[in-house]
Amino acid sequence: MLEAQKLTKRFQDRVALDALDLRVEPGEIFALLGPNGAGKTTTINLFLGFLTPDSGDARIAGTSVAQDPVAARRKLAYIPEMVSLYPRFSGVENLDYFSRLGGHRRRHEELYALLERAGLAREAADRRVGTYSKGMRQKIGIALALATGAKVLLLDEPTSGLDPAASHEFSRMLKKLADEGVAILMATHDLFRAREDATRIGILVNGRLVAQHSRDEIRGKDLEKLYLERLAS
Amino acid sequence: MIIGIAKKELVDAWRDGRFRLGAVLVLVLLVVAGLLARQQVARETAERDAATALERKNWVEQGNKNSHSAGHYGVNVFKPSSPLAVFDRGIEPFVGTTVFLEAHRQNQTAFLPAQDATAMRRFGELSAALALQVLVPLLVVLLAFGSLAGERESGTLRQTLSLGVAPRSIVLGKALGIGAAIALLLAPAAAVLALLLSRSAPAAEGTWTRAGWLAAVYAAYIAVIVAGSVAVSASTRTARSALTILLAMWALNCIVAPRLASDVVHGQLPMPKLAEFEVEMQKDVMEGLDGHDARSKQIEDFTQKTLAEHGKTSVDQLPFNFQGLVMLESERMAGVVFDHHFGKLWDRIQEQDRAVAWAGFAAPMLALRSASMAFAGTDFGHHRRFARAAEEHRREFVRLLNEDLMNNARPGDHGYAAGRALWEALPEFRHEVASAAEAWRDARPSLIVLAAWLVASLAFLGWSATRLRAVIL
Repeated sequence: MLEAQKLTKRFQDRVALDALDLRVEPGEIFALLGPNGAGKTTTINLFLGFLTPDSGDARIAGTSVAQDPVAARRKLAYIPEMVSLYPRFSGVENLDYFSRLGGHRRRHEELYALLERAGLAREAADRRVGTYSKGMRQKIGIALALATGAKVLLLDEPTSGLDPAASHEFSRMLKKLADEGVAILMATHDLFRAREDATRIGILVNGRLVAQHSRDEIRGKDLEKLYLERLAS
Repeated sequence: MIIGIAKKELVDAWRDGRFRLGAVLVLVLLVVAGLLARQQVARETAERDAATALERKNWVEQGNKNSHSAGHYGVNVFKPSSPLAVFDRGIEPFVGTTVFLEAHRQNQTAFLPAQDATAMRRFGELSAALALQVLVPLLVVLLAFGSLAGERESGTLRQTLSLGVAPRSIVLGKALGIGAAIALLLAPAAAVLALLLSRSAPAAEGTWTRAGWLAAVYAAYIAVIVAGSVAVSASTRTARSALTILLAMWALNCIVAPRLASDVVHGQLPMPKLAEFEVEMQKDVMEGLDGHDARSKQIEDFTQKTLAEHGKTSVDQLPFNFQGLVMLESERMAGVVFDHHFGKLWDRIQEQDRAVAWAGFAAPMLALRSASMAFAGTDFGHHRRFARAAEEHRREFVRLLNEDLMNNARPGDHGYAAGRALWEALPEFRHEVASAAEAWRDARPSLIVLAAWLVASLAFLGWSATRLRAVIL
């Protein structure tokens, strides 16, 4: 479970995140929508402990990020817009390395199985990732989340730039993870994917969470219109 | 986890074609430098052995003559090369290899190898030591500048930190991995140098101990460069700024500091000009060290004292050749003057060397260079020991000749001549390179400086881990 209590971050005079209260339960996919500069990536960075909050607290499965960032990170997996990998290593070597860093030593066959679960064929897994497309990199990210068995998943624009098929496959994997009880927070611009995948949607404007809607609340409504209205208000 | 990161760093470096190319170049340079140095040392050793044999032959076959005249005939002695000169030639090319030993004079060493070199060769002379001091740090810089700053830019640092890896483990793992890559690169070169050393002329006692110390000081130096470079990479915003800072530091350490330190030290601790030195010394030989006790007066006093001791009124009445005794006394008096002047000169050179070693607090290469020359047996300390040994040999050789004159020539017999039996009885000059313990004493200031650098760079590395950020705003 992932929780923010009055989480606030300022950059000099500008408030990047203003007293964010948020709770994502196991099995939930929370899509955080908002324009550029609304505070989405700042929120992710605060949960990752890459930024220090000015006030408030972010907790990952009960562990305060500010108090023990390393322990908090051990409980989560993170997939950025572009999963960063070592180009001179193959997909399976990258997965092996990162899962070991995450404290999970796995046999090669297990690693291949995880990559296959994430949608990456064995032949591709043996290629150096310097040749990978963005979608293939995202699959390594998913495989890593599977390998570490993280209970919390943080996603920062994960489907940006993916073609529709890759985006669809990525969503399928996310839903699977949620079904397995992973709490997922996804910062995104992709209204279509948010509507398709999220169990809840939050709209962040100028650092403030101005609206939260459950999937049931937005069913049958035009999410784009709702979103633009919130931005304008 | 640290080992895992180090292993990945090592494999990544190895897979990087640029590193492989750089590594091969450095390796080739090290091996070629070692082979060329060995060839040069072997040639010099052969020339020295041949010249030593010829000198002995000429000495023994000089024919019958007055033993004091034989002192003026003189003999050349040659400085033996340290076996480790194949690694670090130190000051060898710039100091003399030969001393002419003769009565009445303490000569300086002559015949500098650098005098025989063309200008181009002097410019391009490369030793294995120089390659390690200058090129390996450059390779470390190229390997380390992006180790953390580059990963921050590419996003892999975020990925790594997001997995709950402690920054300290990342930083240490990176440093260990780069260190291992460099060690792997240097291992074949070290093996070749060890082979060259084992196949060189019978190694002096302690050569392998010295080689061990050399390995230790170079390992410490490279550790300093690796730790410092990784720490800079961890602390800078971009790989480009890390590279700029590290290249500037490399240039200061390896190019600017040696020249600057040498100029500053020579300015602060100037050396006398050679001509002035000789004139001053000869003046003191003639007038006494205090300038009030002229040699002629000292000889006169000595004559009176000798006559009084033997209860005689004329030197012709003495039971030995008084001229021989005067020569002995005259050598003793000159020896005091030589010790004073050469002692001052050599002390000044060693003061300069120590000052340069202490200047290593500003640039570690200065300390490393001093330690390297000391353990290789090619520093001024070793040269001074040779010059001192040659002078002691000269005094003993002249003493034996003068004693022969004193005891075997009749008073006033100017036709006295000694022969081959005496020439053969005079010992040959033998000089061994100083022990490893003496080299260690010479290197002590540099070792202190290098140890301080090692502690400081590790502390910097630890501090940089506390400042390691995935995001720099």
